[in-house]
Amino acid sequence: MSQTIVIDPVTRIEGHSRITIQLDDRGEVVDAHFHVTQFRGFERITQGRPVHEMPALMARICGICPVSHLIASAKAVDDIMAVEPTPTGADLRRVINLGQIVQSNALSFFHLSSPDLLFGFDADPAVRNIIGVARANPGLAKDGIGLRKWGQQIIEWLGGKRIHPEGIVPGGVAFQLTAEVRDRILAGVPEAIAAVERAIAWYKSDMLRWEEEASTFGNFRSAFMGLVDRQGNVDHYGGWLRVVDADGQLLADKVDPKTFNDYIGEAVEPWSYLKSTYWKPMGYPDGLYRVGPLARLNVAERTGTPRADEELEKFRWRVGRIASSSFHYHYARLIDTLHAIEKIEEILRGPDILSHHVRSVAGINRSEGIGVSEAPRGTLMHHYKVDDNGLVQWVNLVIATGHNNMAMNRAVLQVARRHVKADRLEEAMLNRVEAVIRCYDPCLSCSTHALGQMAIRVQLLDAGGVVLDELAR
Amino acid sequence: MTTAATGGSAPAATGGVLVVGYGNELRSDDGVGPAVAALLAGDPRLAGADVRAVHQLTPELALDASGASLLVLVDAAADAPAGEVSVKRLDPEAAVGEAGAAMSHHVDPAGIVGLARELWGVAPPVVVVSVGIASLEVGDGLSPSVEAAVPRAADAVAAIVEKHGRA
Repeated sequence: MSQTIVIDPVTRIEGHSRITIQLDDRGEVVDAHFHVTQFRGFERITQGRPVHEMPALMARICGICPVSHLIASAKAVDDIMAVEPTPTGADLRRVINLGQIVQSNALSFFHLSSPDLLFGFDADPAVRNIIGVARANPGLAKDGIGLRKWGQQIIEWLGGKRIHPEGIVPGGVAFQLTAEVRDRILAGVPEAIAAVERAIAWYKSDMLRWEEEASTFGNFRSAFMGLVDRQGNVDHYGGWLRVVDADGQLLADKVDPKTFNDYIGEAVEPWSYLKSTYWKPMGYPDGLYRVGPLARLNVAERTGTPRADEELEKFRWRVGRIASSSFHYHYARLIDTLHAIEKIEEILRGPDILSHHVRSVAGINRSEGIGVSEAPRGTLMHHYKVDDNGLVQWVNLVIATGHNNMAMNRAVLQVARRHVKADRLEEAMLNRVEAVIRCYDPCLSCSTHALGQMAIRVQLLDAGGVVLDELAR
Repeated sequence: MTTAATGGSAPAATGGVLVVGYGNELRSDDGVGPAVAALLAGDPRLAGADVRAVHQLTPELALDASGASLLVLVDAAADAPAGEVSVKRLDPEAAVGEAGAAMSHHVDPAGIVGLARELWGVAPPVVVVSVGIASLEVGDGLSPSVEAAVPRAADAVAAIVEKHGRA
């Protein structure tokens, strides 16, 4: 009898989801799906709202990455107003966005993934968690918390609030930066750099242990997409879209992000609320591509900051010019973080950063606008249409987790084929399937967390959906 | 992190009471924690306390908690009757044991205690004020019964803080 294993919900990712693994009559994995069971609904509930409210509303999509939605939303409204933010306003947006990159990457690596890396996938889950990390390697845990706090402070000091900041507005930012706040942020840079460099050193010293695991951990050929600046460096805020194939050949370069609809399609599958995006020239599902920290390093020539570039060189020496294993998202995420910290310092030391010209003002000048930026998890696109009064008529959000949807499914299938057998429902095996999803750090958002809600449930179903077996932890 | 500039090694010097209401304000009653925190923000009974409304508990809160004399958490309870306010003191010893088993995308109260104790050697007493909820649907308002419970939950927090001040 064919069977299905269900892991529901997946732990240590943002939001709720589940994984089903389809087994055939012999107990071999024949298919796997990463289901997103939550309905975000923002594209509907924002219809009819004044467009200038959109950045603040969009920031509420998520408590982990509000700034990413705020940035992309503000850029879309800039487009509708046909206005360019002032140079200082754009720079301050960049700094807030990079603060977001630092704190979110830190949560992903130190809090969510380091337990697997420190203790191994076969370790007892009672130990393999952040408390276990705090006991076994308190320096690593403190570094993660310190980076989180520093990133959050940047958002709070520049954005007005830590969780749902309102300092990013159409046309730029709401607040002029003071020398006191600038210096307070800069004072934390040396230790932030030291913290992430300690983590990189630890990861590199340990990564050989994971070489075999990485070879089948979502390791497949795919395209990669990310934003780059005019020099081809990583750009988290603006620049052009670049897409490379699995060999590093350019599929597209210098693409105006506002034309993304010409290149990116969205497919809907009945088993998930999450749309699957694909590279239109290659069609669906062949046009699979990946975004996020690994993609950013794969598409760019360099990061553009010295310490991160030095680490990037070592990264490429170890894993190749185009890293294909999803396992390497962890390593890439640390280099991405190092670059973000260096870039924050570079921007804050700019001569005009304290200028009072932080916002351009305009009205409704277009009926349609697109904003694109790099979120921690990858490229984020907001597309709005408004009426003559500036009331929102239509919204489409193409989120990083959607770009990675096909890749996550491919990765789950590969890991499941290697580790899942019908007669064994072991913690370590199931955790590997979850862990490959965590490499992408998916954000499914709109999570609730009322007491008593979170648990993990593993179900074994037959082809007709009847529960044959169930495990919980 | 090892310097005060980034806050990594030294506990936050709050010294006093830390009140955190948490939940997603766009998932109806899940926002009851932030609603209680908002009501308490200007409440003279909590003068001197650090009152915060956050989307979810995250690891860095352990750093601030380690420097507080009392941590009061306000959250929605899906497993209680709508509008019911309950107060539970977290057993710090049991909390550390529980924390390991249920770590997820957010940190639970036990996780906060566990991290504070493991990393900075000290954790404050923790009291959880829970409000039973009726709905977790997408929406930015509270159900009537939960809305009515907000002042009662705020009073419960204030009573806890006042008692702590007298101790």
